[in-house]
Amino acid sequence: NAELESVLDLFGIKLSSPDCQILTLPTSTERARPFLVLSFPHNLKGKRFRLQDGKCDDQSQDQDQIPFSNIISRCILVRSVIELWGVGKTLSDCVACSKKWNESSIGKEIFEKNSGIDKSWKITIHTLGTKYTRLEQDNMRLRFRFFDFKGQVKMEDPTNEFIMIREAEIDVLGNVVHPQQDCNKKIIQENVARPPIGVYFGRILGQGRLVKGRGAMEQYSLKRRAYLGPTSMDAELSFIMTNFGQVEKGKCVIDPFVGTGSILLSCAIRGAYCSGTDIDIRVLRGRSEHENIRSNFLQFGLPRPELVRSDNAIYHRHYQRSEVPLYDAIVTDPPYGIRAGARKTGSKLETPKPVVEELRHNHIAQTKPYSVADVMADLLDMAARTLVMGGRLVYVIPSFSINFSIEDDLPQHTCLELIHCCYQSFTSELGRRIVTMKKVGDYEETHQEEYLSAVWKNGAESAEKCANIRDKLLEAAKKKPGYQQKAAIRKEKRRKSREAKKLSKRKFATLDQKG
Amino acid sequence: MRLLTHNMLQSNVRGTTNGYPLNIEVENAIIEESPVETELIKRLLPKIDYKVLKRAIQQISSHLPLPVLEELPERLSEDIDDETVLSLLHTVLMDVHVLEGHLVCPDSGRKFPIKQGIPNMILHEDEI
Repeated sequence: NAELESVLDLFGIKLSSPDCQILTLPTSTERARPFLVLSFPHNLKGKRFRLQDGKCDDQSQDQDQIPFSNIISRCILVRSVIELWGVGKTLSDCVACSKKWNESSIGKEIFEKNSGIDKSWKITIHTLGTKYTRLEQDNMRLRFRFFDFKGQVKMEDPTNEFIMIREAEIDVLGNVVHPQQDCNKKIIQENVARPPIGVYFGRILGQGRLVKGRGAMEQYSLKRRAYLGPTSMDAELSFIMTNFGQVEKGKCVIDPFVGTGSILLSCAIRGAYCSGTDIDIRVLRGRSEHENIRSNFLQFGLPRPELVRSDNAIYHRHYQRSEVPLYDAIVTDPPYGIRAGARKTGSKLETPKPVVEELRHNHIAQTKPYSVADVMADLLDMAARTLVMGGRLVYVIPSFSINFSIEDDLPQHTCLELIHCCYQSFTSELGRRIVTMKKVGDYEETHQEEYLSAVWKNGAESAEKCANIRDKLLEAAKKKPGYQQKAAIRKEKRRKSREAKKLSKRKFATLDQKG
Repeated sequence: MRLLTHNMLQSNVRGTTNGYPLNIEVENAIIEESPVETELIKRLLPKIDYKVLKRAIQQISSHLPLPVLEELPERLSEDIDDETVLSLLHTVLMDVHVLEGHLVCPDSGRKFPIKQGIPNMILHEDEI
């Protein structure tokens, strides 16, 4: 829901307000359901969207308004949007409800608009978790025969696609919940064992944009990019982050840990003006003239991103007027020492050796390790400074699924309010959190020390919950039984392959000598 | 590097008190036209230092055909709605890219190189 909420908010709609109510689904269950029913007042005017799709006969409607389905299709996690005509717990209930709707004034109006002789149509039967034969499906379709569509039935790409969904109960992993045997230990026929908990009928307004498979967003998949790195974020997640950040055309976005530019690219695809900074000159420059951040942008016909090699730990020393709010969103994946260690400028030594003059132009400045506690504190402080009021910071942080408290373990800042914290799991214990914050208070330069010292409520130890996860995983793995044997086997394998390499090198060396 | 970015960058060499604005030494600069976004430009104008922008254009104009200096307004007024002026401002802020060159600190003279359009603002360890 978080993604949907952010996108709706971007277009001026507040989820769960009288303008957009969430209705309860038929049959209350404890499990989460894959459906959401939203109710809007019928003639909603003055907002940035309109409910009807396609051409509008009504002259009074604002031409600049965006069809609602376009708004929703921006959401990566939404599979499709349906204009609901009837709903019920069982098929019969749904049919009865649809009949009543068809007789209501709103229902009649909508039906008129969609049933003309020029509008081809078809009904798709979608049964969640159950299979039905063609005949059974056709019988379901016949129950809706009272809808007198004047147009032709067209199976390929009709004007209107109607859908009937039969929902059965599913668990967290998406598997259907059902008893396989009844009390007499007889196997229950599948469809009977999975009774419907909801049946919905409606008109499909739009499909979500899938990044995988044949979706419209597949062209942005990482597989197709010219320049990638081990830390490039997958396209799906970076688009979801742009939704949390409410990134759109006309906004200024920065990624202070831009790396290979994968997140920045998604922001540019949404139409924003993009900047990126990083301390590592190698990722900024890329591998060659044709394999760098800019070439990825070029590949999609996007303008050159603005890139600067600078140190985010001293953002205010690099940029003049750093307290003038410049950015509408900061969307980033900060380094936390797992695949790419964080660095900041400076030498480990108290008095660093001066650089020899002749070598200065090619000298690559020394950097020192940058702890996760400081990375996050500096990021939040920089965000508080440079975001416009209401602007958003979206970042990713790895963390464990248990032993983590949102109120106590996430970094905090007086000027920023936590909006969402979403968890994506990798394994049963480890996952990552995508955190969204909003600027709600003006930044006061004189309070910088206070802000920074208050970032970690439980002290820098909380930062450790995110940092050094690799070490912790290794420690945990060592405690598991059989680890010693497996480690010994791996060690043996490595030793053998090293020996083999040495042998082959020696062979080549002697060949050279002979030759 | 766009002139919009140059408008923000400063030198952070230890001991300098006045590292802004940086002087631009151009070796290679181009103009890449892009569609004008008037709303974006209008929002950015209050945040930039206009005098610095004009000076930057002057420093580049020996390398790029930019006859705009005479056409730009003397001062930025509160609300600019003139399409041609906004379009000009868009060109100088967004379409001019310095690809190779240096940014020079006005106080210490330290040169920050610009390569492939990316300015390198990182100091050596003995300068921090």
